[in-house]
Parts: sequence; structure tokens; C-alpha cells
Amino acid sequence: MKKILHNPLALTGLLLISIILLLALLAPWLAPYDPDDIHVKQILLAPSMQHWMGTDGLGRDVWSRMLYGGRVSLLVGLVAVGISTAIGVFLGAIAGYYRGWVDTIIMRLVDIMLSIPSFFLILAVIAFLSPSITNVMIVIGLTSWMSVTRLVRAEFLSLTQREFVTASTALGAQDWRVIFKHCLPNSLTPVLVSVVLGIASAVLLESGLSFLGLGVQAPQASWGNILTDGKEYIQFAWWLSLYPGLAILITVLGYNLLGEGLRDVFDPRSHTAR
Amino acid sequence: MAHRYFLIISLCGLLAACSADVSEQNNAPYNQSFPSQSGGTFIDAMPSDPSSLIFMVAGESASSAITANIFNTLLRYNKDLDLAGELAQSWQVAADQKTITFHLKPGLVWADGRPLTSEDVYFTWQLIIDEKTRSPYASDFQLVTKAETPDKLTFVVHYDQAFSPALDSWAGLQILPKHKLAGQDIHTTSFTQKPLGSHYYQLKEWRHGEYLKLERNPKAVLGQAQINTLIERIIPDPGAQFLELMADHIDSMNMDPITYARIIPSRPELQARLNQYKALGNSYTYLGFNLKRQPFNDVRIRKAINYAIDKQEIIDGVYLGLGEQIASPYKPGTRWSNPQLKPYAFDPQKARTLLAEAGYKDTDGDGILERDGKKLSFEVLTNHGNKEREKTVVIIQRRLKEVGIDIRIRSIEWASFITRFIKTGDFDAVVLGWQLGLEPDQYGIWHSSQQKPGQFNFIGYNNPKVDKLLEQGRSEFDPDKRMHVYHQFAEALYEDSPIVYLSAGYGLTAIHKRVQGIMNPVPPAGVGYDSQKWYIPLPLRRTQIQAE
Repeated sequence: MKKILHNPLALTGLLLISIILLLALLAPWLAPYDPDDIHVKQILLAPSMQHWMGTDGLGRDVWSRMLYGGRVSLLVGLVAVGISTAIGVFLGAIAGYYRGWVDTIIMRLVDIMLSIPSFFLILAVIAFLSPSITNVMIVIGLTSWMSVTRLVRAEFLSLTQREFVTASTALGAQDWRVIFKHCLPNSLTPVLVSVVLGIASAVLLESGLSFLGLGVQAPQASWGNILTDGKEYIQFAWWLSLYPGLAILITVLGYNLLGEGLRDVFDPRSHTAR
Repeated sequence: MAHRYFLIISLCGLLAACSADVSEQNNAPYNQSFPSQSGGTFIDAMPSDPSSLIFMVAGESASSAITANIFNTLLRYNKDLDLAGELAQSWQVAADQKTITFHLKPGLVWADGRPLTSEDVYFTWQLIIDEKTRSPYASDFQLVTKAETPDKLTFVVHYDQAFSPALDSWAGLQILPKHKLAGQDIHTTSFTQKPLGSHYYQLKEWRHGEYLKLERNPKAVLGQAQINTLIERIIPDPGAQFLELMADHIDSMNMDPITYARIIPSRPELQARLNQYKALGNSYTYLGFNLKRQPFNDVRIRKAINYAIDKQEIIDGVYLGLGEQIASPYKPGTRWSNPQLKPYAFDPQKARTLLAEAGYKDTDGDGILERDGKKLSFEVLTNHGNKEREKTVVIIQRRLKEVGIDIRIRSIEWASFITRFIKTGDFDAVVLGWQLGLEPDQYGIWHSSQQKPGQFNFIGYNNPKVDKLLEQGRSEFDPDKRMHVYHQFAEALYEDSPIVYLSAGYGLTAIHKRVQGIMNPVPPAGVGYDSQKWYIPLPLRRTQIQAE
């Protein structure tokens, strides 16, 4: 932990994410208005003291919607990455530990999944199911586990050659005990980095889907669909495009910085770690 | 053509997310008024290439935008929307109302100088009812049991029963030249690309996907138009159209409410060059219920929803005030619209009372009403990409939640919306629009016999009283009696509330100030009425380099 605090990249990232997370968590207390409350007499007002980020095409307060939208975006990021990490770690561990035909099948599956452009796969699946926040989380999770699988498998391949693993096998430990008690805890560092980076791309994916109308559905706000609503008015209502754009930028930047920082901290070969 | 009604996909599209500033190219005195002058070029834009220039085959707005300048009809609507003769000098409906006699004007000619006679009219009628033509507008003309041409200037049609939409149908049929089309396959003939008509303009050049160029027809049967050349450019994206308008590469386009009410007023350089026209269109947006499903088979629920929705809020918020509340399925201010009916007021208290009467109560305290343990909750569909409708549904969702009704919104791409949900009747409620013609007959939308897949009464409306009125209206020629019938029809609908009328929208057009002689205020027939009188004064014309 101390190392992380001494790494400027990780620290900046952590700070940005903390701020965004805090704002999202405290949304019900921070939002001055009901995010779904419509006031047609106050549409498209520029930012002011009453409405810090202006109002949208239906007179809803953009600041309140940004706060609640942040909850959605971050929730999607966390849950989707949770799903993909669980799948990725499980498959990677099995492939790396058992090798042989199990490894071949899993790795070919990874190759197949990677050969399909994931955004289009997600688009197709969501269009087939109906767009909703649950579906978006599940589908993103189910289509982004491949890099974790590869990482964990690589770690397992080297770990299973190590003496302590051989020792526990020799002592008669069962497979699951060797996998979960001995190998897995030692392979989680690169996974942590990939989880952090994965959240960034999941947030981005969700925004993209919502922007295209296939993500979070009205009236629920998400940064992506605030951005879509703003597209129509971009010639004169800049605030509808700028703020959600900035929020996505800061969040993704934050997670990426933290991810890079963690990698530097944990990687003993890296010289940027101080 | 007499397309009496069709579903509207989208009133307006998205606006491009970019802008281009154009410095004033010249200091032309756009606000000065000049005397009428012949010549010049008018450039318009439309979203797609016509599939054919024989409208009875094409049946699309892109085709009619061109063919309406090339072909004449027997009758037309004048600026106050009363029927007047175009090729016909006069017409008589027989006493039994089953025979109509048209007398053509003498001396009519096609653009190639050949005479235009009742033979051509007869030929056109035979063509549209021909099975092989597969015209979507054939049904009205199939009711003609016999047609005759006693002489070159007379055309007589007989019907089995009095059919009052007949005159409207003849006002929509563009007369085609027999000498060019006889014996040809209507779908493959070169005539669809090189038409020959009798109206103000003839086709000069057609670059597919780029533009169509029309030039004055020197032999036009109704006299000479003022503007010499019309160019119709094909620009699919409304945003790109707007950029072309700003760059002064086109003279006219149709706008959405945001462009009209917000963007143009905020740009003085555009205001200096453009005139904006607004006219109440003959279309409306509505919330329609699937009347075959619970709970919409209960009139109290339908009325409660009607009272719970604030239509003015939708007009103000979504259409930026550019809409009207309506209480009958006709354009307000026309004779068919019943002036006695007032739109359902916004009255949430009344809505709650009606819901309570229907047995709905919030027993579990979650804010949503239940009856017999079932929540009052349903799904509203609309077509994806129509921003106005998507916003409308969000407002409806909010207001219904306040009276304890939970709705889920689903916006679906147009083609699957129609095939998967509308044609199969698999929906709870929809937000859609109707585009209506000038003929008041709405048999296809409301008659109980019109509920088969693909037909227009997809909400499943069934009211014997309305059926009878619709049948009566179709066989009544006397305008005052018809008016009375359609007023009663609108009243029956009003009482039943099978749909919630949300708003009648305005047609919004921008035309460059160099074009003069446009009727303002816009007559009931629309901004394009009498466009042959429009002119572009010499000092205001675009600079053109010509090899002479």
C-alpha cells in the first residue's frame, strides 16, 4: 500500500476514482433535484447557480442526472468486470494446471472469442435480447474474460513448476487445494492490474452502448445516454455533451492510471517503480 | 396521389453535430421586393432518389415530389382545400351519386405536342387497376365498374354504390400518355426514367443519387411557370441538408422544431438569408392502446390515462410549442374537425378517481396501483431514432407514474417494429403518428373489418356505431351532411378514447429569401401551393458561368 502511495501514477488514478466513486455513492444526498423530474418550462438552460450543469431537452437537471448516471456507469463497470474476472480466473487456472487437452480446448476458445470483434458481438447480442442494464452487465462480462484467462494460465504454467507446488502435490493435496490455496493467491497480482484496466474499458463500452440506445434505457440516466441526448443540441447546448464526456474521460483516465501504477509497483522488473 | 393515410416513420431526423460558418458571399438586398421575373434556378433537397417516375407504381414521397411537377390530374385542391378542375373544366355527379362525368378542357397537349384526350384518362384508369401494375392505390379505382369516353373531351365513370371519396381519388391520379405507354411493361419501361407529361416542367436530366433537373415545359397546359429550372438534390442526411443550406448550396429544406425555434433564431446570418414558414400539417402523434388486451379493454383505464397526460407539456417540451392539441382525428380548423370537442384536460385527480372506480388500489405502498394482485404496468413501444417520440414517451412515463401507473419504454427499429409488433398485434401500447390526406374517410384506420395483419386498425378498435358512421360517410356526397357524419364519428371516438391524441405537428420549411412570390401566411394547402408563381429576381440569382 505504501508503495502505491509513492507511485505518482497510481496515486493520481486512485484520487480521481475516489472522487468519482464518492460522488456516485453520495448521489442521493448531493443531487439538488430529482434526476427524472421534467420541467418543460426550463428546457436547455445554460449552467447557472440553480443548475450547475444546466438542464437538458426535457428540463431535467444535468448535475443530478450526472451523479445518478455515474452510479450506473460505475456499477456496470464493476459487475461486468466481476463476471469476466471470475470466468477468466477459473478457466485460466484449469487450463494452466491440467494442461493437455483441457488447455488446448480452453485456449482455442479464447482464440475464437478474440477473433470476433467484441463490440459488434455485444451489439448483436444486446439487439437480440432487449437492452437493459442487467443485460449490458452480463454481456460485457461474458465477452471480456479472455485476457484474464491468458494471464492466469501463464502464471499457473510457471507456478506448477515451482517446488512448493510439487511439495504440496507430493504431500497428497487434492487438485482443488493446490489450485486455490497455493497457485491462485500467487497469480493474482497481474489479475489485479487487468481488473482495474478492465473496469475502464467496461465503463467505456457501457457509454458506447447507451450512446447507441442499446444500453441503459430511459428514464434512467447514464453518461452514455446523457451524451446521446446532447448530440441533438450540440450546436447551442454544449453543456449536454461536455460534462458527460468529461466524466467518462476522467473515470477511464483514473482507472488506466491506477492500472499502470499498480503494474509498475508490482512488477519487480519495472524500473519506473520507485 | 390519394394516399389517404400512412404511418409516419419520423417527422424529422437528427441534426448533424457540426456547423459551418459562411461569411456573407454578397450583399444582395434580400429584403427588397422585386417585380415578378421569369427565369432562374431553384435548388431543393430531398432525402432519397425516386424509385420510379410513375407515381402509381412508386407510391413514395420522393416520387411525388418530382412527378407532381410533370403530370397533371383531373382535379386538384385549391388553396382553401376545395376541389377545383385541373385538366377537367367541369365535372358532374349524377343524381343517384353513382356516376361522375368529367369534361376536359379543350386543346390540351402533351409536352411533345400530341393532344391529351379522354383516351389518355381511360388508359390511365385501366393501367392503375391492372393486376400487373400492383399499385398500392388501386383499390379506390377498382370500385369503378365501368368507364366510358363518349368523345375526346368527356370521361364518365360508374360505381356500384355511391362512393364519396371518389373525387379525392381522381384528384390524386396523375394522367399518363397513352401514346408513350400503350403495350409497355409499366415496371420496366424506359418511361419511368424519361417521363413525358403535360404540367409546368419536364425532366431534363437525372443523375441517380445526385440530382434531378427539371426544365420548363413550353407547352404546359396551365401556362408558364416563372422559375426556369428546378434542381432536386438528393441529400439523405438532414444534418447535411442543413449544412448545404447554410453554405447557400440549396434554397429550401424541411426542418425539425429545434432548427426552426432554436438554431436559426440564434444565427443572425441565417435569418438574414432565410424565410421560415410554418403550417399546421395534416398529421398527428398519438398513444394507442392494444384494445384486445387487459387492462385497455376497460374504458375507465383509457380515460384515466388520457386525463393523466399533460398534452401541452409534450407540445412545449418536445415540439418547442410548435404543435396543437386536438380532440378529433382531423386537422384543427378544417370542416371535418368537430369544434364542439375539447381535448381531454390534464387532470390527475380525475385520473385517480377513474382508476379507483376500476378497482385499482395501491395495497403494498410502492406507489404503483394493483388489482387482484396484478400491478398496473405495461410496455410502450415507439420507433427508434425518432427523437420527438422518444422524448414524448419519457414525459408520459413520468406523468403516469404520478397517478400510480408503471410503464416501461422500448424503442425499436422501424422495420422490426412493424413486422414483429404491429402486424402481429403483439404490443401493449404504442406511440405513433398518422399522416392524413384531405379526404375525411378513415375507414381503413377505424372500421372493425380492418384488423387483419398489415391493415391499419391494428389497435383492434371495434365499435358498431363508428362502423356505421364510417360506412355512411363513404356514401354521402353532400359536404354538410358528410361533415355532420364525421363530427359524430369524432365524438364517438372521443367518448371511447381508444387512443390519446398527443399533438398535431407543424410542417416547418426554410426557403431562401431570393425566392419571392411565396404566399405568406401559408395557405391551408401548404407553403408549396402555386409554386409556379414563385420567382427569383435577377439581382438575387446565384452567379452562374455559362458558355454562350
